[in-house]
Amino acid sequence: MNSQHEVMKLESRVRRTALRSLLLAGFAMPWLFGRVVHAQRMNSGSLLSLNDMVQPIVKGAILLNKDLQIEAPLLADNGSLVPIQIQVQSPMSAQDHVTHIYLLSQRNPVTQMAVFQLGPWNGRAEVSTRVRLAGTQEVVALARLSNGEFRYKQMEIIVTESACVDAS
Amino acid sequence: MNANLNSEVSKADANADANADANADAIADPIPKKGGIDRRHFLKVSGTASAGMSLGFFLPERAHAADTPQLNVWIEIEPNNTILIRYARAEMGQGSMTSAPMMIAEELEADWKKVRVEYATAHENLRTKRAYGDMASVGSRTIRHSQEYLRKAGATAREMLIVAAAQKWNVPASECKASLSRVTHAPSKRSLTYGQLAVDAAKLEAPKTVQLKDPKNWTLIGKSIPRVDIPEIVLGQRSYGIDTQLPGMLHAAVAACPVFNGKVKSLDASKVENRRGIVKVLNMGEFVAVVADNWWRAKEALREVSVEWDVGEHGTLTSAAIMAHFKAGMEQSELAVARNDGNTVEALSKSAKVVEADYFTPYLAHATMEPMVCTAWLQGDKLEVWSSTQNPEATLAVSAATAGVPQANVKVHPVQLGGGLGRKSPQDFTRQAVMIAKAMSGKPVKMLWSREEEIQHGLYRPASLMRFKGGLNANGKVEALHIRVSAPSILATLLKLPLPRGVDGQAVASFNDHPYDIPNTLVDYAQRNTNVPVGFWRTVGHSQNPFGRECFIDELALAAGKDPVAFRLDMLPNNEKSKRDRSILEAVTKAAGWGSQLPNGVFRGVAETEGYGSWTACVCEVSVNAKNEVKIHRVVIGIDPGYAVNPDNIVAQFQGSVVHGLTAIFWGENTIKEGRVEQSNFHDYRMMRLNEMPKVEVVIAPTGGFWGGVGEPAQAPLAPALVNAISAAMGKRIRSLPLKNHGLTLKVS
Repeated sequence: MNSQHEVMKLESRVRRTALRSLLLAGFAMPWLFGRVVHAQRMNSGSLLSLNDMVQPIVKGAILLNKDLQIEAPLLADNGSLVPIQIQVQSPMSAQDHVTHIYLLSQRNPVTQMAVFQLGPWNGRAEVSTRVRLAGTQEVVALARLSNGEFRYKQMEIIVTESACVDAS
Repeated sequence: MNANLNSEVSKADANADANADANADAIADPIPKKGGIDRRHFLKVSGTASAGMSLGFFLPERAHAADTPQLNVWIEIEPNNTILIRYARAEMGQGSMTSAPMMIAEELEADWKKVRVEYATAHENLRTKRAYGDMASVGSRTIRHSQEYLRKAGATAREMLIVAAAQKWNVPASECKASLSRVTHAPSKRSLTYGQLAVDAAKLEAPKTVQLKDPKNWTLIGKSIPRVDIPEIVLGQRSYGIDTQLPGMLHAAVAACPVFNGKVKSLDASKVENRRGIVKVLNMGEFVAVVADNWWRAKEALREVSVEWDVGEHGTLTSAAIMAHFKAGMEQSELAVARNDGNTVEALSKSAKVVEADYFTPYLAHATMEPMVCTAWLQGDKLEVWSSTQNPEATLAVSAATAGVPQANVKVHPVQLGGGLGRKSPQDFTRQAVMIAKAMSGKPVKMLWSREEEIQHGLYRPASLMRFKGGLNANGKVEALHIRVSAPSILATLLKLPLPRGVDGQAVASFNDHPYDIPNTLVDYAQRNTNVPVGFWRTVGHSQNPFGRECFIDELALAAGKDPVAFRLDMLPNNEKSKRDRSILEAVTKAAGWGSQLPNGVFRGVAETEGYGSWTACVCEVSVNAKNEVKIHRVVIGIDPGYAVNPDNIVAQFQGSVVHGLTAIFWGENTIKEGRVEQSNFHDYRMMRLNEMPKVEVVIAPTGGFWGGVGEPAQAPLAPALVNAISAAMGKRIRSLPLKNHGLTLKVS
């Protein structure tokens, strides 16, 4: 499989997803694209594409959107403490296991929020943690497999904005 | 987008909804209300509406209609021509429960007399993957952030109704017009009501694009429409969060450690445990709660629970220490730079005249009329919450996390807020209520804060020290302005957000974006956090920074020997950036008769500000007598919000803002001693009284082409305009608030 081609497809998926969330939000989140005059100051940074998020790690290797599950609240009252759990389907055998799980942020100043190293000794490829999110965004969980391939899953987490910030 | 829905599906959905909700009612039926959001009535409506029409603009999940028993998002039309419009934000007196539905009704060409408004809920929003968008009522942004999708929702429905009529008559849709909930075909003189067309219209595909009306053709937007909640408020039927009543409900009074962030070390409840009505005394670690059969018993017992607090290291904090902390910020070497035009330091060194001044604004509690209140009921893994919240989605998120139940299991019932003022957007109180409900699992518990708890455990407007240096050239033109702010950061401490370049935009609001043509401007910021928690107090940074900015501009005008209005206009070029500052200043000063002769002893003050997407200006006329009593002769205050959606509501918001603002300007101050807030109730945290209120003249000067906020901007120009007038009257510059600390009182009119 041409991994570059795969990523291109994925990227357009992210665009579609972003577009869809824009529609879902009823245009309430024009700042999602960061190009509207009334940019919301609650959110810092701009949104990365999936490609920008994963390629520094994936470096062109095979990347598929499967085998991962993210468990996290759809709504977070603020971004300072968001619980998140990742599961990867893997036998976790010496021959076939997950070596790393990356948690990537689309908007945070630091994209790579966390890296977990795993091996067959873990038995299960499952991690849970808490992350900080600088506003509503797609979070990507990326797993590196022992054969050098990658799996990923993305999830939009909405950080509600309980703030009388002046968005002008 | 798939917004059509045939009536068969609607019916099935409505039945499913009715069954689901009927079951819910069996366990959670609030005491029936005389008016307002009555679930039974809602069910009935949902049922009848199956024969009617549901039109939603955003129904991305309609492919799964079978899972979507709720008929629709924004609009339902009943056969009797009643139109139900949903409102997805909170109502706390700001009036957007009327003005947001006006957006939909305008484009729908609805007969407003037959429009009924009902709340959307956070749990429905979650279930429909946010079909209603953002639900928070914060940042004066309900209209400006939702007007586009609300108007499109109305326009989409209108087009579908027109097409339905055209198909029925077999005429081109372009020959049909919609008006007052009726589609008319003029050539054949036929017409049908929306109620008659709704079923057919709902079967149509929603148009992908719609044409919004030209503002000059608006028939509803721009008219003073009475608020939809007025009748219930006047009749005492409106149900506020504090009015929530549930069968078998318990009541909780709470006390947190008087020193912020302290913890319970030990508690002895033996004196009250066996008292009549006392159900339980809870040590929640961060606070103590007494649960009883009524709130008064809980509150009285709480006073006699003996609590030893672990106050940590903050038990000695004082206002003086905080001021020293801010002053040290003024001298610190590393500062975050919020704006840097030209070379301010150099320009100041070359100025013919340099003016310097420090301004200070204090911590302020919100003192909402209704203190924090939240009712929560945990049954197994199902949770229902009735919270006076400005952000129902945040309430849902916090409730689920606190109770440890899935978000899908939480219902957040909308209630009217008895004032919000920014205090009810953070969810600390909802969290407390859910913690208590968890401890009392199975029983509904209403937690209500006392006034003392509200004033002593606020999320205060940050105190702020501001230093201004202005340089004038020989002609009295301002060449350089340096503003340094030393203050806590709300975004860094409350929301724990990363600050771009170390700058909290709220701490430097109105400085980093001042409109004046000053070639050298430097704005820098020392983030000086303390143990006093800070939050969003209505108008936030714009409630305090314009006081410094616009008073200092007056000081510069005085130094230049120029009239304050002419001085400002000279610095506001008539370009795109400053044209609205200029036009609102001109409109308000004209209405106030700036420059005309005043009676002896009466002085004027002026200020011009911008914030929340709107432009504002204010002129005050005052006199100060020998007893230091300030008589306010006139308050002329104006706004350019782009479009004035509901002018009478703007007037109401401005009058309310003047009440709120004058209260803060004259008396508002929270001071810290031994790590705690010294004030506790209205005897020492004074509110303005009815007979102290001056007449407010509101100038609404919309210039069109943009949508600005209305709920908050009015406070921005009030303090500087008033204090400029008082300083002129006294011949002495006032540079800190509140005015009571300068020996000034407000003369009863």
